[in-house]
Amino acid sequence: MPPVGIWIDGLIQSCTYMTMAFGMVLVFSILGILNWAHGQFYMLGAFVFYYAVTAAGIPFPVSLLISGVLVGGLGILVEKFIIERVNIPSAQGALYVTVATIALIFFFEGAASMIFGMQDKGLAMVLPGVLDLGSFSVSYQKIAVVIFTLVIMITMYIVLNHTKVGLAIRAAAQEPDAASLHGINVERLSLLVMGIGCALAAMAGSIMAPVFIINPFIGGIPMIMSLLAIVIGGLGSLTGAIVGGLILGFLNSVVAYHLSYFSEVVLFVLVIIILLVRPQGLFGASRK
Amino acid sequence: MRYIDYKTVLPRTVAGVLVFLIVILPVFTTNVITLSVFISSGIWAIAAMGFTLILRTGQFSLGQAAFMAIGGYTSAIFTVNIGWSFWPSFLLAGIVPGIIALIIGSIVLRVGGTYFSIITLALSEVVRIIAQQWESVTRGTRGLITSPPNPIVINGFEINFYASTVPYFYLMVLLVAITAVVFWQIGRSRIGGTFYSIAANPILAEHQGIPLMKYRVIAFTVAGVFTGFAGSLYAHSLTVITPYMLGLWQSIQIMIMSIVGGIGSLAGGPIIGSIVLYTFGIYLSRVEIYGIQQLLFGGVVVLVLLFLPKGTGLIDLWDRFWRKVIWREEEYEPDTPDD
Amino acid sequence: MKKRYSIATILVIAGMVFGLGGIASADEPIIIKVGLPTVLSGPAAPWGQIGMEPYLTWIELFNKEGFKVGGTRYNFKLITVDDKNTPEGGAAAAKQLIYGDKVKFLAGHWSWNFPAVSAVANQAKVIFLTRTGNEAVPGGAYDPKKMPYVVFANPSHDQFISDCFALVEAFPNYKRLGILDCAIGKGPGWDYVEVALKKAGVKYTIEWFPFGTQDFTPYITRFKEAGVDVVYVAGWVGESMAFAKQRWEMGYKDMKVGHSGPFVSVGMYNAVCGQDAAQGFIGQYWANWDFKKTTVNPKYVKMCQDVMKIVSDKQGQPFAYTGWIGWLPSHLLILAQAMQKAGTVEDPDAIMQAIRGGTFDSTTGKWTMSGAKTYGSPVVFGCPSALSKIQGDKEVYLSEHPMKPLP
Repeated sequence: MPPVGIWIDGLIQSCTYMTMAFGMVLVFSILGILNWAHGQFYMLGAFVFYYAVTAAGIPFPVSLLISGVLVGGLGILVEKFIIERVNIPSAQGALYVTVATIALIFFFEGAASMIFGMQDKGLAMVLPGVLDLGSFSVSYQKIAVVIFTLVIMITMYIVLNHTKVGLAIRAAAQEPDAASLHGINVERLSLLVMGIGCALAAMAGSIMAPVFIINPFIGGIPMIMSLLAIVIGGLGSLTGAIVGGLILGFLNSVVAYHLSYFSEVVLFVLVIIILLVRPQGLFGASRK
Repeated sequence: MRYIDYKTVLPRTVAGVLVFLIVILPVFTTNVITLSVFISSGIWAIAAMGFTLILRTGQFSLGQAAFMAIGGYTSAIFTVNIGWSFWPSFLLAGIVPGIIALIIGSIVLRVGGTYFSIITLALSEVVRIIAQQWESVTRGTRGLITSPPNPIVINGFEINFYASTVPYFYLMVLLVAITAVVFWQIGRSRIGGTFYSIAANPILAEHQGIPLMKYRVIAFTVAGVFTGFAGSLYAHSLTVITPYMLGLWQSIQIMIMSIVGGIGSLAGGPIIGSIVLYTFGIYLSRVEIYGIQQLLFGGVVVLVLLFLPKGTGLIDLWDRFWRKVIWREEEYEPDTPDD
Repeated sequence: MKKRYSIATILVIAGMVFGLGGIASADEPIIIKVGLPTVLSGPAAPWGQIGMEPYLTWIELFNKEGFKVGGTRYNFKLITVDDKNTPEGGAAAAKQLIYGDKVKFLAGHWSWNFPAVSAVANQAKVIFLTRTGNEAVPGGAYDPKKMPYVVFANPSHDQFISDCFALVEAFPNYKRLGILDCAIGKGPGWDYVEVALKKAGVKYTIEWFPFGTQDFTPYITRFKEAGVDVVYVAGWVGESMAFAKQRWEMGYKDMKVGHSGPFVSVGMYNAVCGQDAAQGFIGQYWANWDFKKTTVNPKYVKMCQDVMKIVSDKQGQPFAYTGWIGWLPSHLLILAQAMQKAGTVEDPDAIMQAIRGGTFDSTTGKWTMSGAKTYGSPVVFGCPSALSKIQGDKEVYLSEHPMKPLP
């Protein structure tokens, strides 16, 4: 059995993947597309957070919200001016969205390199200190990640299940046509959902910024990991995103502890086996 | 008597002349840069054509670079480790990825759509991990150092691939031409029509008695064979192949080239897309403003997707150029993107 | 088209310079173009970028005097092309430099795709000064007979070994040395490092992590269980900073961390790891004015210090990165001295003849190109492996192990 510290680490790693994957799944369930530039919203969120904290001197919980709002707004613009126009109702629509969002990866990374520079930046002074628990210790930054994820999950649960917007989102996810017949403006809802998804990514980026480094290229790994998480969990399933995130987090800590770099072999073999045995993922409803 | 429509003939003639100019390019210049830009574009063009063929059946693969890697490794292993000459290894570099595509395709293509894309993505990572871990054969992350193809001697006249880039250029042109003709014929044949119907409405096609899997696997396998050839030429023109050379980003590059070039055509679009984008990338590598390369590359791709008619890409510019600029046709377009 | 124009403009300007040099006066130096394929885009770009300014400043200073071959004065001019950190980009960049800009020499190259670049350079008989990679060590596929124009001016795996020795010398009471690298770097180079460490009786543990790892908790735990108290991270800067920060947070404050690169800027480490966790962080140190065991020509020491000062003034903040000193300046000095010895700036074979087995005075000391035994290549240069550590906001000299060519 690995030490307790490793299990805790797995939980903390899962938290980022969960928040990222949650946003992607939300977007997928309404818009029916995968936003490949999701990781770049994570990166932009980290940068906004960095400048809000260092240059503007705003306290970090407020900066977290600012980064979510700003990047969420950017996400709405991207949806309005790019994805909506590219996503034509045909078999190829999803493909164009894929290519457009992948091109946005290059665009955002280039823009961030030009505006913010490519040097690594750090925010270790936010929430410094370590909570000592005897045989192991956890930094306050990582505890903040866990608390943040819990808050986000609970908020999303309440929004989705106990508000009108949540009802509309769930309805549009199940039957977009029927939902629009009942007076739900699916187009506006898509903008909102895209905004929420990107804001979640940005806030995940912000809360992770003090834990790791900040540079224009940090979006790639969380993006791939959350993509794999939602594939394992099932495209379009919110529960799946959470479970997928947990699996990946523990894979990267507990399995890595036992097998070191073979953990990535385990990861991809697991993904392929899951997709072949249960193509819709662990929790996904089968779609045609 | 057959009526000859000059509006069809003239653009084709101009296109033919352009192709001819590219083919006789070494007459004007033997500049290595120009030739290698065309060689590399040709390699990516073949891979992009393979991608487009799979796309015809309604699937999009994010693992095409993996087949290039398999092809490249096959010929590299056979020339370096076993000591074969280049040409038989080159043939194997098409056959092995073809067989692998056949096997993988018949398992994986059951799962369609986004799932298929992600499975191919994971498979390309698996290929990368195998290339990295199987050190006794692939030499791990060091990669294999290959050499250019062996000289061919015909009647005392030697075609030497070491001394000049021109033979490699013609090898490339030949392979692109063969691939283009094969794919064009596939597109015109009944199989091509069947691909269309599968992509347009898989359920309807299945109910009409078309075996979906069969045609999907055919497209995947044919694409695998030619992508493998491209990979072999890639490895031998760079003289090195490593596990990280052909990964997700290269698959994405293939996809972008195919889409930007235009997926309406099986051969023309990918060729135009890869030449334009590759040359653009080479041009950008001289710009000394850090970060602007990616910004422009991403921006241009997004603009192409936004402002060219849905799904036609650059190749449609060609048509539009003749219709709008040369013939000045007034035409009703039902779905313009600019409104 | 624009590219053509720019190339044409460069050629015209170069032609004018050459023409004027020939006609106007013998005082005007003749310019020798040196190509540098380097990373200017993508995640590794900071490493390519940070050296550019000091390189150009150093060449400016060097050109004031230039160097003389057969009574004619020569100057260097640097031309940079982005190699995108891929073999394909490297080959394309090398082709542009060699066939477009007509450079006769490539220098200062440090990325891992040198096999692709050296294939292009060798075909064109262009001398290429680079670092050794996995390819060049015994068991690698590098064949000096096939690639006679490659010079390894920075032996990277010898550097790893010397770094480890320097660490052990700095902490004689160490319990066990931990070595951490990304699985990408796995290869015969490390087998070679391991043999050397075993021979010297160094106790060590090697761990590999998959590409893209950010959370090193499992690896830190593994190291701790193996009894490691000094860790040498051979990965990227971000990885080593994450490692240092995380071992601090896990409470292993006595575990010392070093990495196989010079400090980009101390402020960055303090910002990323936190002031406390960054203290004592160990990095390579190329500041030749602080060398204790290696003597460097005072002229070069002064030049390097001047460059640091000029770049600091230009950037408006203290410039502390010393890594550039060991790369392009020492490569150019090797080239210039080899040209003087050969008495020609044109003939690559004669210059290579002078480089093989020759002794050169560089910014990192006086070294002799090693014999045929090393790396299977006859042309490997040496350099010292000096280490520094972070103390407060500054980096201070820690230890040094002069590199000796290993058989």
